[in-house]
Amino acid sequence: MKRLLISCFVLLFGLFAVAQSVKQKNKPAPPQPEPAGPIAIRGGKLLTITHGVIENGVVVMDNGKITAVGPAGTAIPRGATVIDASGMTVYPGLIDSETNLGLVEVEADQMSNDLSEPSDEIMPHMHVAEAFHSETQRIPVVRVNGVTNAIVAPGTQDTLPGQDIFIQLDGKDRDQMILVPDIALPLNFSAQQRRRGMGGPGGGGGGGPRFPSTRMGLAAQLRQAFIDAQDYEARMQSGAKPSDNGKSGRGAASSQKRDLKLEALLPYLHGQKPVVIGADDGYDVENAMRLAREFNLKVVLNHLTHSQEILDEVASWKVPVIVGPIYDFPRADERYDAVYSLPAELYKRGVKIAFASYHVEHNRNLPYAAGYAVAFGLPYEEALKAITINPAEIWGVADKLGSLDMGKTANVVIATGDPLDVKTDVKQVFIAGRKIPMENRQTRLRDEYGGVPPAR
Amino acid sequence: MSILHWAFRMVLVFTAFVLPMSAQTVADSPNSSQNPGSAQAPASTPASDLLIRNGTILTVTHGVIQNGSVLIHNGKIAQVGSNVGVPAGATVIDATGKFVMPGVIDCHSHLALDGDVNEATSPITPSMNMLDAFVNTDKGLYQALAGGVTSLLLLHGSANMIGGQAVVIKNKFGLSREQMLFPNAPRSIKFASGENPKRVYGSRNQVPSTRMGNFEVQREALQQAKEYMRDWDDYNAKAQKGDKEARAPKRDLKLEALGDILRGKLLVQIHCYRADEFLTEMAMAREFGYHIRAFHHALEAYKVADKIAAEGVAIATWPDWWGFKDEAWDAQPWNAVMSSRHGVRVALKSDSNDVVRRLNQDAGKVIRYGGATQEEALKMITLNPAWIIGVDDRVGSLDVGKDGDVTIWDKDPLSSYAKVEKSIIDGEVYFDSSLPGLGLTHWKGAPMSSGDFEGYELDEEMGIGEAH
Repeated sequence: MKRLLISCFVLLFGLFAVAQSVKQKNKPAPPQPEPAGPIAIRGGKLLTITHGVIENGVVVMDNGKITAVGPAGTAIPRGATVIDASGMTVYPGLIDSETNLGLVEVEADQMSNDLSEPSDEIMPHMHVAEAFHSETQRIPVVRVNGVTNAIVAPGTQDTLPGQDIFIQLDGKDRDQMILVPDIALPLNFSAQQRRRGMGGPGGGGGGGPRFPSTRMGLAAQLRQAFIDAQDYEARMQSGAKPSDNGKSGRGAASSQKRDLKLEALLPYLHGQKPVVIGADDGYDVENAMRLAREFNLKVVLNHLTHSQEILDEVASWKVPVIVGPIYDFPRADERYDAVYSLPAELYKRGVKIAFASYHVEHNRNLPYAAGYAVAFGLPYEEALKAITINPAEIWGVADKLGSLDMGKTANVVIATGDPLDVKTDVKQVFIAGRKIPMENRQTRLRDEYGGVPPAR
Repeated sequence: MSILHWAFRMVLVFTAFVLPMSAQTVADSPNSSQNPGSAQAPASTPASDLLIRNGTILTVTHGVIQNGSVLIHNGKIAQVGSNVGVPAGATVIDATGKFVMPGVIDCHSHLALDGDVNEATSPITPSMNMLDAFVNTDKGLYQALAGGVTSLLLLHGSANMIGGQAVVIKNKFGLSREQMLFPNAPRSIKFASGENPKRVYGSRNQVPSTRMGNFEVQREALQQAKEYMRDWDDYNAKAQKGDKEARAPKRDLKLEALGDILRGKLLVQIHCYRADEFLTEMAMAREFGYHIRAFHHALEAYKVADKIAAEGVAIATWPDWWGFKDEAWDAQPWNAVMSSRHGVRVALKSDSNDVVRRLNQDAGKVIRYGGATQEEALKMITLNPAWIIGVDDRVGSLDVGKDGDVTIWDKDPLSSYAKVEKSIIDGEVYFDSSLPGLGLTHWKGAPMSSGDFEGYELDEEMGIGEAH
């Protein structure tokens, strides 16, 4: 009987654990169902992303999902709220592959800034999910420009600054907005992670330089952290029997203590989740990549701003690249468009690319970066993909996001025209089927002071 | 994006102080014009006639001319229209399918100053002259030229309530320093207000630490200048009467420069974000009898646009920057058009080595935010910044008699997709995207790095310095 009870308990607990993990994995959490029932958008030019452009098309949404996409005449359910989008362009919600949304409000105000833990470079046990401020005033400003999903990453001062989240830019609270916690681990590798006694945040305070003050130090420290994690896992698996090798003092008990920092690295060492390598220069990219291969990490590359000379090699790695900021500067001896043309150069070599807007101040301008890449040679359709289906694939949510397809989450944008053009005005955004109020702190200020007077 | 990159951008936005490599005192005689009028046409003899034809001509002042032409004769615009003949021997640029507009003008830049943006050792430094920090080989100028920018106002930073005097340049990248100066441009001086001065001096436990302190420091300086002027006026009057006893007051360059503000010899350009501070600045200008040319940044202009318009003050702003500090928290992107429709002259400026490369896109954004007309949007990056600098009679539109500063774009410049094909200044091509290499026609040497990527070098120097 006792045994049965225990079995039941184990079973129940197991089910609970499975349910929990499914919940973690399978979010998007269900949106608040719109009481209005189905919504149909008709008459607009549909940019489906996965199956071309449909002029004068119909999109039907119900219960948070897209239930139909097709040409004029596609059946609209009885009782549906019909939105006339004649002359408008309709496209899936945009996905930003790196932001700091919810980690910083007023950038100069340290109290509203949760970007980085500067005391150590190896901080994989920092969880953006635990700092994400879902009520930030910035999200309503960004989403009215058609951005419906984003990666939120910590600051870049540490090599391993903590784990990213994947969010939806609407929801009644944090739990509804964080679709995937701990989705990826940034690994930043460039001159700026070095501690050289510069003082200030990230500089490790005042005083002289401290380890790691060079790239050699950064790499050695990363390698040691990964090896420590592997060793830790082996010890944990082998139970209470650490090989003593003549060492004394702390015994089995202490070796069994959980080390959250090392534990945090394990899913990445198992290749279950991607490590996002942030590096600009070719040699930094190559070095970080060498390290990643040493430990069989699953890699997404980020930036590559000054890696023009190794793009063929990058292509041979068959890993996706978050390219940008496209507005980063070329080097003094480079042509003015050396960075502007990087997305096109990567695409030409068959690399899957995605765009990101990075700093909070520019998050609403994500589509313009894609548009600028088109000016410098990226095919228009690819630019669109790089802020929709490509990031959905990179982040493992392409079954739910990234295109106007039946069964996907109803993230739909209605705009006056081309999503990538600076002149285009976004008229309506739906997130998980919810008609988002097209207002925020900024529209309220505009209206409070009388709005825009007509032209004279 | 690198933190250092960001940090440097913040330096520009906040214009936090950068320690000067060497403090120089500028011997500026009281009545000198800042930019000597020596900037002649470049050494190579320019073709006397340059005809750009068959383009979509965005004149800025008199509409759009389809299949139009612009003729530049001896560096000046000689004809604009749809029926312009080809003068014998003219150089002809075919602009079929292209867009032709005046050169873009940035009236707020800290490019080409090699980091010497703020003499942040005193809140009142009006005799500083940015000309003394101007580095004509800064790569950032080339990148701006590739973005169609043909004239810039290079300003002192905002650490000080009254900073230094600006330098106005034509972006003839590749020519000498002297040749890049905008001939006979009026002198401008930079004022600041708000968070930056109070942060810089407050962090040292000095006055100003508050906005109260900010304005009191400014008022006291102007009051001293008034007394200095009175002493000189008294002396000059006595001397004129032949009074042998009259003794000349000691010359003081700082007070002389402040006196030039009160005499209306300097255009006053004020870094200012908040609505209440626009009102305080305008009240102080009335108190001392000078005019304010423009509020820069001006993110809350929409709150008091009527009052700013009534004083004839312009604004130079960004369309969509916001939230980087408290005084930028009430920004909203309709500000430019709202202010403009209330009668304020509005310019879009960069204050950024990045944005200066694509001010055209920022102009496109005000069509989206507020429904600016094409002409309103174009004016904000051409004629209106030209007015703020005081050179709108010379540049900023495609009108006969103006300087031949023209840019040619492959697509509508007010879109995400436009690239500059040629940047032409005084009738000469300085940037041509069809050329290999950097696309420059005059550049011979190796350009130096510009502010934003200096971050790495600075990092290097500081690291080594510490280690030794």
